[in-house]
Amino acid sequence: MPRPTLNARAIVWLLAWLIALAALAFGVQRSLVLSSDLRSFMPPAQTADQKLLLDQIGEGPVSRLLLLAIANTPAERLAAASRGLVVALHDDAHFARVLNGEADLSALDPALLPYRFLLSPTLDTTTFDAVYLRDELQQRVDDLGSPAATMLKPLLPRDPTLETLKLAQRWMPLHSPQLRDGVWFAPDGSALLLAETTAAAFDPAAQGAAIAALQSAFAALPARGNAHLSISGPGYFSVVVNANTRREAEWLSGFGTFAFALLLLAAYRSLGVLALAALPIASGALVGIAATALAFGPIHGITLAFGFTLLGVAQEYPIRCLSHRRAGVSAQESLLGVWPLLRLAIASACIAYLAFFASGVAGLQQLAVFTIAGLLVAGLVTRYLLPQVLPVRFRDVAQSAWLERLRLRLDALPRLRWVPWSLLLLAGIVLWSAPTPFWQNDLATLTPVPPALLKREGELRAALGAPDVRYLLVIEAPSADGVLVLSEKISAQVETWISTKLVDDVELPSRYLPSIATQTARQAKLPDRATLQAALDQAQQDLPFQPGLFAPFVDDVEAARSLPPLTARAFGASLLGARLHAMLSEREGHWFALATLSGVHDAAALAAIAGATRGSVRLLDLKAASESLVASYRARIGTALLVALLLLAATVAIAFRDLARAWHVIAPMSLATLLVLAVLRGSGVSLSLFHLVALTLAAGLGLHYALFFERRVDDAAEARRTLHATIVCVLSAVLVFGLLATSSVPVLRAIGATVALGVAFHFCLSIIMARDKGLRAEG
Amino acid sequence: MAPETVALIASLRRPAPADTAYTEVRFVRMLRRPLVLRGELHYGGSDQLGKRVDTPYRESTTIAAGEVTVQREDKPVRNFSLERAPELQALLASFSALLGGDAAALNQYYAIALQRAGVDWRLTLTPRSSALARQLHEMIVDGRDADTRCFSLHEADGDASVMLLSALAATKLADPPTPAGLESLCRGQP
Repeated sequence: MPRPTLNARAIVWLLAWLIALAALAFGVQRSLVLSSDLRSFMPPAQTADQKLLLDQIGEGPVSRLLLLAIANTPAERLAAASRGLVVALHDDAHFARVLNGEADLSALDPALLPYRFLLSPTLDTTTFDAVYLRDELQQRVDDLGSPAATMLKPLLPRDPTLETLKLAQRWMPLHSPQLRDGVWFAPDGSALLLAETTAAAFDPAAQGAAIAALQSAFAALPARGNAHLSISGPGYFSVVVNANTRREAEWLSGFGTFAFALLLLAAYRSLGVLALAALPIASGALVGIAATALAFGPIHGITLAFGFTLLGVAQEYPIRCLSHRRAGVSAQESLLGVWPLLRLAIASACIAYLAFFASGVAGLQQLAVFTIAGLLVAGLVTRYLLPQVLPVRFRDVAQSAWLERLRLRLDALPRLRWVPWSLLLLAGIVLWSAPTPFWQNDLATLTPVPPALLKREGELRAALGAPDVRYLLVIEAPSADGVLVLSEKISAQVETWISTKLVDDVELPSRYLPSIATQTARQAKLPDRATLQAALDQAQQDLPFQPGLFAPFVDDVEAARSLPPLTARAFGASLLGARLHAMLSEREGHWFALATLSGVHDAAALAAIAGATRGSVRLLDLKAASESLVASYRARIGTALLVALLLLAATVAIAFRDLARAWHVIAPMSLATLLVLAVLRGSGVSLSLFHLVALTLAAGLGLHYALFFERRVDDAAEARRTLHATIVCVLSAVLVFGLLATSSVPVLRAIGATVALGVAFHFCLSIIMARDKGLRAEG
Repeated sequence: MAPETVALIASLRRPAPADTAYTEVRFVRMLRRPLVLRGELHYGGSDQLGKRVDTPYRESTTIAAGEVTVQREDKPVRNFSLERAPELQALLASFSALLGGDAAALNQYYAIALQRAGVDWRLTLTPRSSALARQLHEMIVDGRDADTRCFSLHEADGDASVMLLSALAATKLADPPTPAGLESLCRGQP
């Protein structure tokens, strides 16, 4: 009889398993909706500033601005390319608007023209009497002789005091770029544009789609020539950084997977086994995704990334199954020997992750569902399916002579009881005395933007006079009009800021719309028709204007006298009012305006206004607010992890019904975690969320080492198998994560170094602290 | 373009910078009588033009890099894009082309027609772009030999401006000046 490597039953099982996996994969990829909106992964905002921050991340127009520069071709072709791009993107759903300086945004809606007397500050300091009108009209005569005549002529009959121009000037940003051929140009000679995406800046997937649309629109321009488009801004950075991180992660993990496969091949000498060993973790991952999608709908991208990392524990399961196979016994039977321990490890990990569920953060709850479902399924298929399909022929690893020599050498190591205590002391000292901040709250430092891009962004931002992405001035009042009143009240202060160079420009809402009180006061100064006509007649006595020329002006003033004051709501509906509309928002019966700032030179001085206005006007530092959010998020993870550790210890203790044995398992795990922290802190690393997740994975793996080393075994052969399995596990984890630690991207380095270090410490400490004394005596 | 036209325009070439006195008469329909301005034009090379008004008030306008700056005594400076003053843009383009003796550049913006009467000549420039044509009906340049004597702008809305240059700038005008009187002055008719 030929020696069958797989019997018919095994083939049926394997086929059924593969078909089930394929069906699951098909279903998952069809229904999987990945969300990359950072907000769903953040804890509910606590402070008002955090709430505003979350709004800003989602809707804030400032962070959604892409700064564009077209260069590398003659100026007139640059202008043509700039116009072409605006036209091409006009109907593109990815962009709310694309500006190149051409559109006259400061034009007042014709229907609102009579309101100009209420909107313009002219009447604050003067009245429409004969003296004032005479002076204005004399200037208009001169204007008609000047080069500005063509521009002014159409305005004059209706607006001889040029209120529309005064308003246009008022509404224009103080520092707008130079116009050449009608479009914005930078001092370095490139054409400038601003594109506002509809997607949030911190949604890299949506930003990626917008940028791709932008680039293809530019590539399709007929007048492009060899012009070059460069893009900058927060949204672009998130795309670039994401792509960099993903590229490096894929390369390194591909390499790591290859090395892992080689290791398994060396350990089990079978290609078939190598392929089968991948099935449990693949099953776990697929079911994890499906369960999360079922429970929550869209899955957050970070859930997947963190989830796959945490699921790394499951690679242990098939390795335990393979290394513990005994000669002359079926795979199921030999697995039964270690199953109680494996079951305890899986159960305790799952119970521990329940703590994530209690965190109250949607992202963490997703993570818990993903990991628990994934670990359970990976464990169950390792127990019930994997042994069915393993080849009958195999090599009992207990036969390796080197393993026995290694085991004896390890056993011969003195049990250095003082080592753990001195390590604990050392770790304590290092943690206590490390000079760098304990926490890294600025997550951007983990995925840094290349300095050349940042420099270019600064140049473009300055050239465009684009608003600062970090600071906003918050004006808060019980009503929309209250916000405008407050805005008027601080406008003198703001003028001082600008003139003393604390800030380049502040776009206050009252710049666009005065409060109702101010409008009413101006309205009261408008003369009635007869008075105005008399003043006008007197004013133009010896001026050359045609008689009756200014009748439309007289009509407008008369109309303005009875207008109801313009409200934020009515003004917001007009084209120009869109700016104001974007600034104002209502939350829980309170109105907020977010005024943008450009060129903030002294944030501390600006922040002082909060004291003077009892907090109703305050400087919002988006960076500080987002850091405080990250900190509160991290506090929740930290608490969840602490609870997880306690749950874990309790599970182990209950399962063992023996506190001393439980101590042997929990103590090395806890000390190793502490040691990793000490090494990281000692080398100047400030900890982030990613370190915490990596620590959790390492602790999960450490639990296995400790459990298996602590296990009482009857014979030396089984001890060799335990050692074999553990060595394969440790080597593979160190390989995969050690490779990640060589990355140039700090976030990958953080995860890689933490896990690799952790695994090494857990292994060494388990050997020292968890080994079973019974076997030692026997050996 | 006729070789004669090219040759004539080439003969008008002047090295930059160049200054020349002018008297400008503006006929504006909003006004009952024409405006008369006197001052000096300054040509500073390709796209730089300055216009100074000395009487009846003082004002100076400079055009550089597509931006117009108007400064009137004791009034705040007014800036606007050249795009918004096509009349000025036309003047600048034609000034630059004429003072550069560059017929090809002029031909880019305007259809050019040349009339001659002895030593006197007249170039009639009609805008090629419809955008400019919406503002400017035509522009007429009158001259004698290698000297430009008059620039006349006829705007699309019927308003007009006649600019008498160098020697003609000092001519005493009728009060009020009439389009016909200026026309004959530019044509060199007594």
